[in-house]
Parts: sequence; structure tokens; C-alpha cells
Amino acid sequence: MRWGLPAAVVAACVGYLIYSASGGATEYYMTVSELQAHAMAGDVRVAGVVQDDVHRSDGLHVTFTEKDGTASMPVQYTGTLPDIFKPGITVVVEGKLGGDGVFHARTLLAKCPSRFSTQPYVK
Amino acid sequence: MMLGYLGAGALLAALVMGGFSALLSFWSGIRQSATFIQVGRRAFYAAAAMTFLSAVVLEVALLTHDFSLAYVVEHTDLSTPTALVAAAFYGGQEGSLLYWTVILSVLGSASLLASASLGGRVAAYAAGILASILTFFLFVLAVVASPFDVLSVTPPDGLGLNPILRDGGMLIHPPVVLAGFASFAIPFSFACAALLAGRVDAAWITHTRRFALLAWSLQTAGLLLGMWWAYHVLGWGGYWGWDPVENVALMPWLATTAYLHSSQVQERRGRLRLWNFGLVITAFLLVVFGTFIVRSGVVPSVHTFAISAIGPWFFGFLVVCLLFSALLLTLRSNLGVEAKPAPAVSREGAFVLQNLLLLGVVAVVMWGTVLPLVSGMFGVQRVAGASFYERAAGPLLAAILALLAVGPLLPWRHAGRATLRALRWPVAAAIVTLMVLLIAGVRSAPALVAFPLAAAAGATALTEYARAALRKPRSLLRKRRRYGAYLAHLGLVVAVTGVAASHFGQQERDVTLQPGEAVTVAGYSLTYAGSERRQLTDHTEFVAGMRFGDQTLEPSRATYAGLGGQALTHVAISTTPTADLYVVLAGTNPDGSATFRVFVNPLVIFIWAGGAVIILGVLLGNVGERSAATELARRRIPVTLPA
Repeated sequence: MRWGLPAAVVAACVGYLIYSASGGATEYYMTVSELQAHAMAGDVRVAGVVQDDVHRSDGLHVTFTEKDGTASMPVQYTGTLPDIFKPGITVVVEGKLGGDGVFHARTLLAKCPSRFSTQPYVK
Repeated sequence: MMLGYLGAGALLAALVMGGFSALLSFWSGIRQSATFIQVGRRAFYAAAAMTFLSAVVLEVALLTHDFSLAYVVEHTDLSTPTALVAAAFYGGQEGSLLYWTVILSVLGSASLLASASLGGRVAAYAAGILASILTFFLFVLAVVASPFDVLSVTPPDGLGLNPILRDGGMLIHPPVVLAGFASFAIPFSFACAALLAGRVDAAWITHTRRFALLAWSLQTAGLLLGMWWAYHVLGWGGYWGWDPVENVALMPWLATTAYLHSSQVQERRGRLRLWNFGLVITAFLLVVFGTFIVRSGVVPSVHTFAISAIGPWFFGFLVVCLLFSALLLTLRSNLGVEAKPAPAVSREGAFVLQNLLLLGVVAVVMWGTVLPLVSGMFGVQRVAGASFYERAAGPLLAAILALLAVGPLLPWRHAGRATLRALRWPVAAAIVTLMVLLIAGVRSAPALVAFPLAAAAGATALTEYARAALRKPRSLLRKRRRYGAYLAHLGLVVAVTGVAASHFGQQERDVTLQPGEAVTVAGYSLTYAGSERRQLTDHTEFVAGMRFGDQTLEPSRATYAGLGGQALTHVAISTTPTADLYVVLAGTNPDGSATFRVFVNPLVIFIWAGGAVIILGVLLGNVGERSAATELARRRIPVTLPA
């Protein structure tokens, strides 16, 4: 038996799986201004900087404004916050923009200051 | 300051020796000059020694707090505990590259020392390719991202290490992962050398397999340690997030898993020669690709990486490696011609199918990783969430699990009726597991597929042990590689069970409790006992007490005043035989109550235990296993092609 046929069959299956999963299980990743320019029906991920108006009603409920260079939007989130969450950091929120203009975030990720990202010391 | 110049000087010397070794080794390989082959190899050892010296210098600079070096200032301060100061060696961009280069040069030297049996030309070309890779890294270190940059003004103290990295896991996880990444270069170099020389024999497989196994084991340990670290430190209740950084570590591991299986087809049946070269080469290319992705910031990741100058260099290196390998494989495509087709239902067939499925998983992970890049070129960026990987890779992983149950029972060449009889135990195990799950009320289709298949795969490994123990007990010791591999299979089954259980059975609840109040999650009852503040040397800790049976869990939040008030959450985990109780302190409220997120994660301990068994199986099966290698070298006639 030559391996060409099984390889083609597996490749076709993998292609189909990737194609079908790409449809439903991927999300748009955009900035605040991009989100405001294109209204999105499904879940999206939006990156932006947390502004000073962070308000926590208790450990799990938080509202704040997220802003990129030009546009800003209010965000509402329930859940545990990353340790480094504070005004000035970049976060990625995942969820939907409501009809009221408030973004309802299902998840909130902080850009993790990793091993490779310390600010270079002024040389 | 002296240390800075010494380190930079050692790097430069290593760079010169590395380049010299590369040129001389290639030239002497073409000329087949035994003396110069020897000289080229010694130049490699000299480059390795100089690289090692520069690493010692950097470590000394860190431990003596030599703040004239930018690297020392950026990654440590006077209050950092000594162990973490030492670990800062691989904690930053430049240092981690130096660590990588040291591992490459040391393992490369070891592989060249052991390469005598391969014949002069293969050994010379391998030295040339290894030295070229080493030279690239040394060039980046010496010119683009030097850890020995000296500051014009020496500050009194450093900037310190990010608190999230101030953890025991930091001491062990990065060095293992980086060592794994570095070691993939060795099988790659020997594969390309054998292709260049046109020599494809058992000695090549034996030599390459040993180093591929080393790379694979390091990467297995590195991935597991990374998962363990994420689970215990990051506090989101899981251990795998399909982040690009994780994905790029997984892909070369998958490709090498494929190679370790398909190389047996070449050993036993002389088939799949070109395919095996392709797999070894692919694994290394995936490492270079991953390093480029991770260090250049071209895809969005939870980890933000400094937009550093090394990105374009690694891209160039990737392109060169890709073109070189593609050219070599094309030139030697005559190796792929096989005498007689093999039957589909056979051990060979199972290995081929397993290989194709593993590469399918690589394709899925690759697509998910580069999707933001590709979609960004055509409009708004898209990202793949966890559900993309689960939906696309899940069925492939299930098929691999099914092969894990069937494959080892198939004989080489032809499968007959005896195979069908041998399948009765795994099939019975799958059916019993399915029944138990249905009776227990499990209705999730993926879970109803995953657990029975895992049970079948486990039953296969156990019946193989039982058969050997009953018929030929001595073969358990004599065929160590085979029974070591079955132990690794068993470990994988245990780990897969843990992954499936914690994936399908995780429960999570957010609660706000007053002192004395209790909450029950998935049958586990927790009582909030109250909280206290503890002042420690460099941080303040706010500790909540959670009573669980007769033990007290202490989830806490630490605040580091010295680092702009950065907070760090400490998860409290209580492991019972059936589940982990995972408590995160989300915050405290003015009225004295505290808010928690409580996870119940079933069988997570199976993942760590299974991982340990996998590594144990590989060690027992291969360490000191010399007889098989020599036997193979004796049995196989070398296949030499006109160059």
C-alpha cells in the first residue's frame, strides 16, 4: 500500500476540522475604535488600556473604562481580576458590546509582564 | 564593569571559534580529511568552553550584584532572594538566549564526541551544521542582544524581579523548557548531515534517536512543569490555556513523538527513511518558528514580549533553515523509494496513521497560533479560543487514543485472526467503562468517547505485560525498550484520564462569605474562619483562613510596596484522591466579608502522576540500553548512496 491515500484522507479530515472549528470557535480581536466602527454580533476580544475610573463593588464585580488611542468604552466584568489589574495596564476583555454601549466582559486577561518584558533601563 | 568586558570578550572568542569550526568542518567533510575533521570538532569544543565561560561570568555578575551591567539591573535587586538572583540568569531575554546557547554547545559537544561510529563525513557535516547554528546564536548574543551591555552610570540598586516570577517554579520550569528547545538542534544536525553525506543506516537512527529522546524527555518535563506552575501560581483554575507560548512548545514535542514511533519502522523494516528525516527536521523548524513567534510579538499573547531586535534575525534564520532543509530533502528524495508496498493493517500501518494524526494536531495548533497573523493581513484580526482547539484537535486526539489501544497489538507485516482475539480485552474495558459512565449519569458525548478509549488503551498495555509475565517473564527485562514504552503508554493513559476528568468535570463557584459562614461546592464544604494581615520583609500578606474538614486552607493576597504596590494572589489547593479543592481569594470587602472563587478540579493529580510515569518509562526503557543499539548496527547493512 502506498501512503498517499491515507495521508490524503487524514489531511482532508484535518482540513475539515480546522474549517468547521474556525467558523464557530474563533473571535475577532480588535481595539476599542475598531469595535465602534464595526458592530459585531458575536463575542469579540477587545484590547485597551484601563482608565482611572475603576470601581469595585466587591471582590468580583468591577466597572471601568477601557481606552485605546482615540476611543473609549465602559466595561462591566464579574469574576476574579488578574493580580496586576490596575489603571494604566493593557487588558484584553472577551464578551459582547451591549445595546446600552456597555461592554459585558465574560473574561478579562491582563497582558502578563513576562520574563522577557522588563522595561529597559535608561542606558 | 570588568566582568562585563570579560563576558563580552568570551562571547566574541566563542563566535570566532564557532564560525571557524563551521567552515573547517564543512570543508574537511568535502575533502574527507581526517585531521581537519578533528580540528573542526575541537574548534567546536573550544567555542563551547568560551560560551560556558561567558555564562559563568554572567552568573558571577548577578550573584555579586554588579549593577554596572544593564542585565543585572533590569532583572534583580538587592532584596531578591539569592536563589532567584541565580535564576535571573535565564529570566530575561538576553540571559535566556545565553542559557540556550550554553545547552546547545554542551549537548552538541557530547553528540560530536559520540559521533565516531557514524563515519568521518557524517560527523564532519554534523559538526559543521551544529557549529553554524551555534554561530548564529553567538552572533545574536554578541551583536544584537548582549547580556553584557555596560551602563554609563552604575545605579545603587536594580529594578527587581516581577513578583509573579518569585516562585519555586521559576527555578525549575524555564531551564528545562529552554534545554528542551535547545536540544532539538542535535537530531536536526545529524539528520541533515546524513542527508548531505547520503548515508542512511542504523547507526544514524541509533545516534539520532538517543538525542531525539533526550530532547523529547526534556520537553515532556518542561511542558508538565509549565502546566504545574500555571496551575499552582496563576490562579485561574486551569493548567493549559492554548496561548501561543504554550502552543509553540507543544508542536515540536508532537513532531518528535511522531518520530520516536516511526523511527521503529525504519529500524525494523527499513521503511519511511525520508519521512523520518522530515520529522526530525520539522521538529527543529517548529522550534525556530516558535522562538520567532514568541520573541517578536507578532501574535497577540497573554504574555507580552518586549518588541526586541532579535525578531527579524530569527525570521531570517528560520527562512535559511527552511530553504536548506527543503533543498536537502528534495536532493535526496530517491531515499523515499520503497521496494514493496506494506499491508495497511499492520504495525507499520498503525505507526503511519499515528504519525499522520499527530501531524494533524500540529496543523491545528499551528493554524490557531498563526490565525491572528493571517487574518490580520486580510482585515480585522481573529483569534482562536480554547474551543477552537478542542473542536478541531479533539477528534484527532480521540483517534490517537484509539490507536494507542489497537496499535501495540498489531503484528509487523500482516495482521491475522490472532489480532482480533487480542483485541477482546481493550474492547471489554471500553464497554465496561462506557456502561459505568452511563449508569453514573454522564451524558457528555466527548466524555463518553474519551474515558472508554483511555480504558481500552490502558487495558492493551496491561495485557501486554500480563502476556509477557505469563509466557516469557525474562523478556520483560530483556526487551526493556518495549516494556518501557508500554509503561510510558500507561502513564499517558493516566494523564489523559486526569485531563479529561478535570476538563469535563470542573465545577466553579464565586461566593462572598462573612466570617463563620460556610459554602458547599460539589459536595465539599468550606467554612470561612476569618482573615489576618501579615507584614513580611518586602511585602504585606492578607491571609484568609478556610476550614475544610480538619485542615485550614490559606488563600492569600500579597502586596509588594517596593514594586508600585503590585499584588500577587496565592492559591490554596487541597488535594484529595478524587479532586483538587482550589480556592482563590478574589478580594476583601469593607464589611469584613471576603470573596472567593472556589474550583473543584477532579483527578488533576492524575496528570502529574501520569507525567512522572511517562518519564519513568522512557528512562527505564532507554538509559544504559546498549545491547539493542549494537545489535541493530550489526543486523543492518548500511545503505550508502553516491554523493
